[in-house]
Amino acid sequence: MIRRRRLGLRARVTLIYALGALLLTSTVAASSLVLTQRRLLSETEATARSQLYRNVLDLRRGLQALPEIPDDLPGSASTATEADPEVALDDDATTTTRRSTSTTQATVPTTERPAPEVTVADGAATESPTTTSALDLIIDITDLIPDPDEAIDVPGPVRGAGVDAPETTTPFGNSFGPPTTPPPEEPVEPEPGPTDPITSILSSLDRPNGALGLLVVPPDSVGGVQREFSLSGQVSSGLPRSLVELVGFGAVSQRYDDPTGEPRLALGIQIPEFDAQYFEVVPLTELQSTLDSLRNILFGVALAASAAGAGLGYYSAYRAVQPLNRVSAAAQAISEGDFDTRLDDQIDPDLVRLTTSFNHMVEALERRIRRDEQFASDVSHELRSPLMTLTASVGVLEGRRADLPAPAQQAVDLLTKDLRRFQRLVEDLLEISRMDVGAVRPDMTPVFLREFLQFVIAQSVSPTIPVTCAADDLGLLVQVDKRRMAQAVTNLIDNAEKYAGGATSVTYAREGGHVHVYVDDDGPGVPPEDRIRIFDRFTRAGSDAGRRDVAKGVGLGLSLVSEHIRLHGGRVWVTDRPGGRAGARFVIELPIDDTVMAEEEMAT
Amino acid sequence: MGTRILTVEDDDRIRQAVKLALEDEGWNVDEADTGERALEVFQAHPADVVLIDIMLPGIDGFEVCRSIRRNSDVPIIMVTARDDTHDVVAGLEAGADDYLTKPFAPKELSARIRALLRRARSTESGGLERIRVGELEISPQEGMVLKSGEQLHLTKTEFKLLVELASQPGKVFSREVLLERVWGYDYFGDGRLVDVHVRRLRTKVETDPASPRYVVTSRGLGYKLQP
Repeated sequence: MIRRRRLGLRARVTLIYALGALLLTSTVAASSLVLTQRRLLSETEATARSQLYRNVLDLRRGLQALPEIPDDLPGSASTATEADPEVALDDDATTTTRRSTSTTQATVPTTERPAPEVTVADGAATESPTTTSALDLIIDITDLIPDPDEAIDVPGPVRGAGVDAPETTTPFGNSFGPPTTPPPEEPVEPEPGPTDPITSILSSLDRPNGALGLLVVPPDSVGGVQREFSLSGQVSSGLPRSLVELVGFGAVSQRYDDPTGEPRLALGIQIPEFDAQYFEVVPLTELQSTLDSLRNILFGVALAASAAGAGLGYYSAYRAVQPLNRVSAAAQAISEGDFDTRLDDQIDPDLVRLTTSFNHMVEALERRIRRDEQFASDVSHELRSPLMTLTASVGVLEGRRADLPAPAQQAVDLLTKDLRRFQRLVEDLLEISRMDVGAVRPDMTPVFLREFLQFVIAQSVSPTIPVTCAADDLGLLVQVDKRRMAQAVTNLIDNAEKYAGGATSVTYAREGGHVHVYVDDDGPGVPPEDRIRIFDRFTRAGSDAGRRDVAKGVGLGLSLVSEHIRLHGGRVWVTDRPGGRAGARFVIELPIDDTVMAEEEMAT
Repeated sequence: MGTRILTVEDDDRIRQAVKLALEDEGWNVDEADTGERALEVFQAHPADVVLIDIMLPGIDGFEVCRSIRRNSDVPIIMVTARDDTHDVVAGLEAGADDYLTKPFAPKELSARIRALLRRARSTESGGLERIRVGELEISPQEGMVLKSGEQLHLTKTEFKLLVELASQPGKVFSREVLLERVWGYDYFGDGRLVDVHVRRLRTKVETDPASPRYVVTSRGLGYKLQP
């Protein structure tokens, strides 16, 4: 079965907090970004608008004050029905652009660099130079591309073909200059540049927001050419088409990106008296960069908030788990036999149910264990009392053995032996029942293994078994619970005596961080299939009836060995004798504690 | 030679069997089936060794032990049904010199009793010179310990323990060595015997038993008498 790795509580809570913080902060960030943008834009727009209004008034005043139409062109303009005039700005001149709609060879001579700037549209247009009021000129400003940086007109037709300009309107002449005044015949200096009066007016306008002004006037009376006055060469893109289309209806504004991607706000207004349109293009670059840095800051804040959220999540999960640590510590203490352990009800009000039921459980458990202990103690007492009488009485008989007739001597011997067996069985049983209760703690002391084994063997049924080991290990120290380890070794020797005619040798050797104690016999050995089962209690025999040890039942001896050794942190098993000799080898494996050796070295 | 042994045991058959075994060794045996009775008998005929079963109806073995100990340093052996409970330590704390776990063989009991008697007499026939350690003045031959000139009342076992430690002041004695020399145990003596007796010895010898000046623990190794 495959177990998926699951996230721990802390990891999960941390993640949730982090995501929550991220979600929250990014929502806030996004909305504040949007709101800020909107507000900044509308502020910018409001400012730009009022500036536009102010400027257009000034402009109008300026225009009205002009004595005559400053056009110098031999107006090549005529009614251009087609609408694809491309307009380019003369960047050097910066101001005047001349526009000719006709296919014509545009007359433009006066302009210093007219040729490249004037794009000629297809020829539908008729040329009508010097038309005084070329009101019929139709302009498509859509493609008006004042790109000062590049003298050449980059632009484009991207914005589609011509638009029909609104049919016009007030005769230019009417408002521009005294109507009666005929436009000068000779081309006046059309000089673009600062000298141009309109340009001067334009440049005199106050534009603190850095906007560019762009004046589009219809064909003047003289040249009949639509002219555009732009201020300084910074208008870098075509105005949005819709803006241009709509400006005829009044004041409009629109945000757009110029071809280079720079954000711009364009505002336009119609000047009806002159049939002119005045635009201002406000660069939004600064606003954009403000928004960009705001966005970066908010992004950073969101990240920091997520990190803080993660930290908070980890901390609160840690705090939330804290009481559980106490629960597990209590459970640990209980499992180690400390049944007085209780959880404090006051740990956490939310955990009252847990602590209460936990404490109830421990009480129930404790009652049960105490009952079991009591039972074991009662049984112990009940069994030991008659055993005591028997032992004492048999001891008397044994002491008087010599006085007895032969059959009585034999009887006493039998009694003595089986009494010892019975006694050991009772002790094993009690020992095991104590282990089951779980409250057994070994009483570990350091012993010299060789000496220890010799003492144990000396008191066993086979007191002459030799103890052998490597020369280096003569002084080997191990930590044991002497009584239990002695019982374990004794039981192995008893077992060999019972089933294999007695143990032949006891050997020990170091194996890595462990020591192995081998108890060998030369009996029939233990078949592989029984090698685990013989350590079970009373060996769940039956299946293999007729087999040696197992079928007869080895009682509790070996299972107690296994329990005792486990209590020492070791293992016990049975295997073949090495070297192919007949017999069994029981192996006790014990950990070697290096600190014991260190202490012993200090002592010597 | 008239050695008297008092057996306190509520189970009739055990008491009889133990009595049989002890008498078979040649000792005189007094019997008591309750704690109260035991105290009466002891008052009437002070014994040389007292054998007390812990589980008694009425006043229990610990109480009997304490009562006897109040007026006498007679060797006391506690008999317990189990050897790994606090009964053993509690019995030793109550003043017992040694303990046995049921069922014990008569031979084992005899060995314990002999060891105790030897200990009791060794004080009379000890060959050691008077030993001075700090304010302590130990006279093995008279079985007396003086602290700043005042006599201390030690049991035979406590005295023997102190004399052993004082035989080589400053030397660390392991629990095994002390078990062997004081109690006559072979390899499998119970170290708790030493620990409890050292504790009791300190309450008598030390000015502040919590931070001993004389009987010092050498951690993991044993005990020594600080010169």
